[in-house]
Amino acid sequence: MAKRSVLGLYIEEDSAADALDHLRDAGFQDHEYEILTGTPYPEGTFGEAEPQHHLYRWPIFGALTGFTISLFYTSITQAAYPILTGGKPVLAIPAMMVILYELTMLGAVIFTIIGIIFESRLPRFFMGAYSEKITEGYIGVTVTTEEDRTDKAEEALKKAGIDGEIIRGWE
Amino acid sequence: MATRIFDEKYPGQPFVQTDNSLESRKEMSGKFLGIYNDKVSQRFWQIAGILGVLFGIGLLGYFWKIFMTKDPGDFGYYAALFSFLMTTSAGAPMVAIGPRVANAHWRRSISRVAEIWTLIGTMNLIVFLPLLWVMPSLDNGRRSLWFYWEAKGDWWFPFLIKFSGHIWTTVSILTLIVLGLAILWVSVMPDLALVRDHAPDGWRKKWATRLARGWKGSSWQWNWQRHRMGALGALYFMMLILTHFFISTEFLMVHVPGWIDSLYPITHAHNALQGGVATVVLTMFIVSRIGPYRHYITLDQFHGLGKLLLALSLLWFWFWFCSFMIFWYGKKPSEQAILKLFVHGPYLPVFIAEFLFVFFIPWWTMVWNPVRRSVWGPAIIAGSVLIGTLLDRVRMYVSSWDVLGISGDKLAANGGQFSSEYPREMMLNMTILNDPAFDRITIIKDFEGLAVPVSAVLPTMIDGVIILGFISGAVFLYMMATRLIPVINIWEQKELLLYNAEVQYHRAKVKVMGKPR
Repeated sequence: MAKRSVLGLYIEEDSAADALDHLRDAGFQDHEYEILTGTPYPEGTFGEAEPQHHLYRWPIFGALTGFTISLFYTSITQAAYPILTGGKPVLAIPAMMVILYELTMLGAVIFTIIGIIFESRLPRFFMGAYSEKITEGYIGVTVTTEEDRTDKAEEALKKAGIDGEIIRGWE
Repeated sequence: MATRIFDEKYPGQPFVQTDNSLESRKEMSGKFLGIYNDKVSQRFWQIAGILGVLFGIGLLGYFWKIFMTKDPGDFGYYAALFSFLMTTSAGAPMVAIGPRVANAHWRRSISRVAEIWTLIGTMNLIVFLPLLWVMPSLDNGRRSLWFYWEAKGDWWFPFLIKFSGHIWTTVSILTLIVLGLAILWVSVMPDLALVRDHAPDGWRKKWATRLARGWKGSSWQWNWQRHRMGALGALYFMMLILTHFFISTEFLMVHVPGWIDSLYPITHAHNALQGGVATVVLTMFIVSRIGPYRHYITLDQFHGLGKLLLALSLLWFWFWFCSFMIFWYGKKPSEQAILKLFVHGPYLPVFIAEFLFVFFIPWWTMVWNPVRRSVWGPAIIAGSVLIGTLLDRVRMYVSSWDVLGISGDKLAANGGQFSSEYPREMMLNMTILNDPAFDRITIIKDFEGLAVPVSAVLPTMIDGVIILGFISGAVFLYMMATRLIPVINIWEQKELLLYNAEVQYHRAKVKVMGKPR
């Protein structure tokens, strides 16, 4: 079934937090509603679930990939062309350090950027229910759910005392 | 404690009332949008016009330099310009990244001022590209970080080996630029959403809509933005250090035989931090005192960065002296030659001026509270540091590339081939033996000392045009960028409303600043 989103605007933080309480009481799950603000409030201000992410995995994986490639690349080239320099071993780690560092870094950087794009789900074509008042300073609570549950969501949002009318949109 | 007990909902919880009402939030958005939407003054366009013309002339000089100059030694001033731009504009975003990581509130109104400088990275790349052609490949036997051998195989493999220094430095600069642009984009997204929602119709609204990419301010998006900025900022810092490491070794130190100084690459990177802070101080002075942001960029910001500028200026001396001391006490012929080349030889007047501008004047002025705790003091000293930094880049790069030119002459005279004589300056007058196993020059002995150029290289008119043109170009591009990007970070300013409160503390009013976790 197509999903629809509804949005209620609030002036006070506590009203928005109350709206989340009402939504939970009405049986809505954490992933069905979200808070919209023009300012980054501290996480949990409205009693919302803390967003989960796995960004930290990307640079670690990228760094490991870069390190492995650089280790392979530097070892194989040194082994392929065994130039003796200053009586040092052919496979000399100090000589490999710069490339090891840079490719490790490069791997971390590239994978982080890919991770950011991937996990951000850019580009976003549909914004769902939205009001320009959010960037002005209002606090929005938006619920994205099946079409037949939107009435229930609207009721819960209104119970907390919305400012103005409910705004509806497609997701 | 100057707190009161919150209402019956959270009994017993100490609570400080901040002024984060809807009216305050609206007022702040409105104020910044008002400034953003205001038509800029005639003077802005006049200055931009002059800088744009200078930039255009600089571009003509740039093409002249590329197509009409044959001797690599003539690229000294050009390389100095490139390094100066990398030192100042690429270092400036650190002023946003560092204090943001440290949760310093004073940075809020100047973080965007610093971040916009990342855009100039693209211009730095244009300046950098010709150096790739001028810089000799590794097969001419120059010193390098990278190993070289006469590789066999498809075209790409010998190419990769011959141009290792070129390739890795380019990759490093490109990565730095991409990271810088990503930081700016991530940071500016919420403000572009504000422009999208409330600015009058026009090209700015259109571009803001495109670039805001559906930003609506969900908790998830804010959380993501924080993580992105943290990760990108940390990576930018690491890449900045690495890029300066490559530039200072592959495009500077390798030209001067006997210049063996493991501290210099980090000195180069430190200069970028100092130059970056000076760039931001000067920019915020112009933005606030000539521009319309006087009420937002205040003494707090100048004082915060003034202290940092003083510390970095003192650190300049530390780095310089550590390197100097090694050469001074070492007293090997090559080390004496290095000192003569960079300090007490033909570039002595430049060194003295640089020493005064970049260290002595900042030190003896910024130690005084009235200067450091002022708006004018740090701004004037930032100007002094930038002049000193430019002189430093001229002294180091022009003299080093001059040595490359002399070496190049000898190389050309020898038909582009190595010989036992080649090039005396470049290989530190060492007797070179051929390694019988690999037919490569690997054993070096018998130091004789370096022949130092007897006179300083003076800039040609083309050099002057390029330097003036591209520095003007950097400022011109910055000014143009401010037409689309709000100069003050609006969302960070609004965030401050959450954490900032003035409360009664016994008989005094004090400011209480919260920290997000």
